[in-house]
Amino acid sequence: MDVILPNLGFLLSGLATTAVLALISIVAGTVLGIVLGTLRYTSVPVLGQAAAIYIEFTRGIPLLVFLFLFYFALPALGGYKVSAYVAAAQGFSFFIGAYLAEDFRSGLRSVRPQLKQAARASGLTETQVFRHIVLPIALRRIIPTLFNQYVRLFKFTSVASVIGVSELTGRAMLVNAREFAPIAIIVTLALTYLVCCLALSSIGRALSHRFTVRT
Amino acid sequence: MSDRPMIEIESVSKWYESFRVLSDCTTAVGRGEVVVVCGPSGSGKSTLIKCVNGLEPYQEGRILVEGVEVGAKGTNLPELRAGIGMVFQHFELYPHLSVLENITLAQRQVLKRSKAEADERGRALLARVGLAEKERQMPADLSGGQQQRVAIARALALDPKAMLFDEPTSALDPEMIHEVLAVMSELAAEGMTMMVVTHEMGFARRVANRVVFMDEGRIVEDVETEAFFTAPESERGRDFLSKILNH
Ligand SMILES: Nc1ncnc2c1ncn2[C@@H]1O[C@H](COP(=O)(O)OP(=O)(O)OP(=O)(O)O)[C@@H](O)[C@H]1O
Ligand SMILES: [Mg+2]
Repeated sequence: MDVILPNLGFLLSGLATTAVLALISIVAGTVLGIVLGTLRYTSVPVLGQAAAIYIEFTRGIPLLVFLFLFYFALPALGGYKVSAYVAAAQGFSFFIGAYLAEDFRSGLRSVRPQLKQAARASGLTETQVFRHIVLPIALRRIIPTLFNQYVRLFKFTSVASVIGVSELTGRAMLVNAREFAPIAIIVTLALTYLVCCLALSSIGRALSHRFTVRT
Repeated sequence: MSDRPMIEIESVSKWYESFRVLSDCTTAVGRGEVVVVCGPSGSGKSTLIKCVNGLEPYQEGRILVEGVEVGAKGTNLPELRAGIGMVFQHFELYPHLSVLENITLAQRQVLKRSKAEADERGRALLARVGLAEKERQMPADLSGGQQQRVAIARALALDPKAMLFDEPTSALDPEMIHEVLAVMSELAAEGMTMMVVTHEMGFARRVANRVVFMDEGRIVEDVETEAFFTAPESERGRDFLSKILNH
């Protein structure tokens, strides 16, 4: 404890960075996942195939390499500068978006064709059927899967320390370099992630309970 | 308005790939008329009534609803469908919406009614099908018979000029069949134009004006109800009747 307490403020602000980074990536990744998943579901020509290629591509690349892509390769290619923090947020969002897209697609596909037919029979257009029937049912059904992905992403953010983002893991390693108390510091670090992940999955469980779709 | 039937089906044929599901079907449903469609499993009954509101396309012939050709390129299908209620074998209530929301969704989205107006109409219809106290429940909390009555209310909420029923009681336990048939009989008595696929021959005999008997995608008989039950013209009709009445 005597190594943690003096550094508490420093570590807590690292945790805040981690939380904000995770939150941004969750929101952006979810939006991307819905868009890509919908393109896949409706098999829009060209865009649907582009989405499929993007998803395959992303899922075949290690997360760290993907971050390098956004931190080094793309800025070099496009001739722009980017902070480690922004590159990490971009990398995580695009990374998790590819996984979420497949979850959204399977959620959308879980809606029975007969139900869509009934909605059409009442005069709803295809867009209205999607917006009022298919999408809300799919979203509700995939809440548990979604939160599993969010928990994964939360843990993934520790990788951002490699490109120099000063988030929780990065700061813990700095403290360790100064104090050299690996057991206390790394156990605290691990427990902090664990508690956050447990909190995140209990939110998921509560939401999934609240919005369960019984048939 | 004219004397022309509400629904006219003229020489309609339909294929799934090379399989011919409907062969040269011709019949009509007049205003206020109740037509029961029956026939063995796979004879094309569901396919035929789904062609009427364009849920299934057909390749030959014409179907007219109040003179509007369902299969024509320029036809606004959502608009046409909004004027025809449809009830399915497995109810198909929206599982994520409450009973009342099931009934108000299309009123608000399609007819652009206000929430207050849609709710009021929804409540009146729920009361009418005997489910006034269920408006806040989710569909999964209702019995099959209750779900089907909600589905009927949902269809009626758009003030349809005709109703299509595809085996509305086939998925129900025997004790619930009656409550659904009672609502349908009442509708018929009020003059609703109805096309009903059903194996409930008691209902057909009491309520239908005509019976259309299908077999292998063809309309084999299209006769007055009494004529069908007392003296079916075709061998297959006789066969079907004797099987269904004696099982
Ligand atoms: N999407 C489809 N693709 C290919 N064949 C189909 C399809 N839908 C139905 N069929 C076939 O078309 C025929 C008519 O089907 P339909 O559902 O209209 O019969 P039905 O008279 O309503 O039968 P049931 O009493 O079992 O409901 C059947 O042989 C069925 O297998
Ligand atoms: Mg059928």
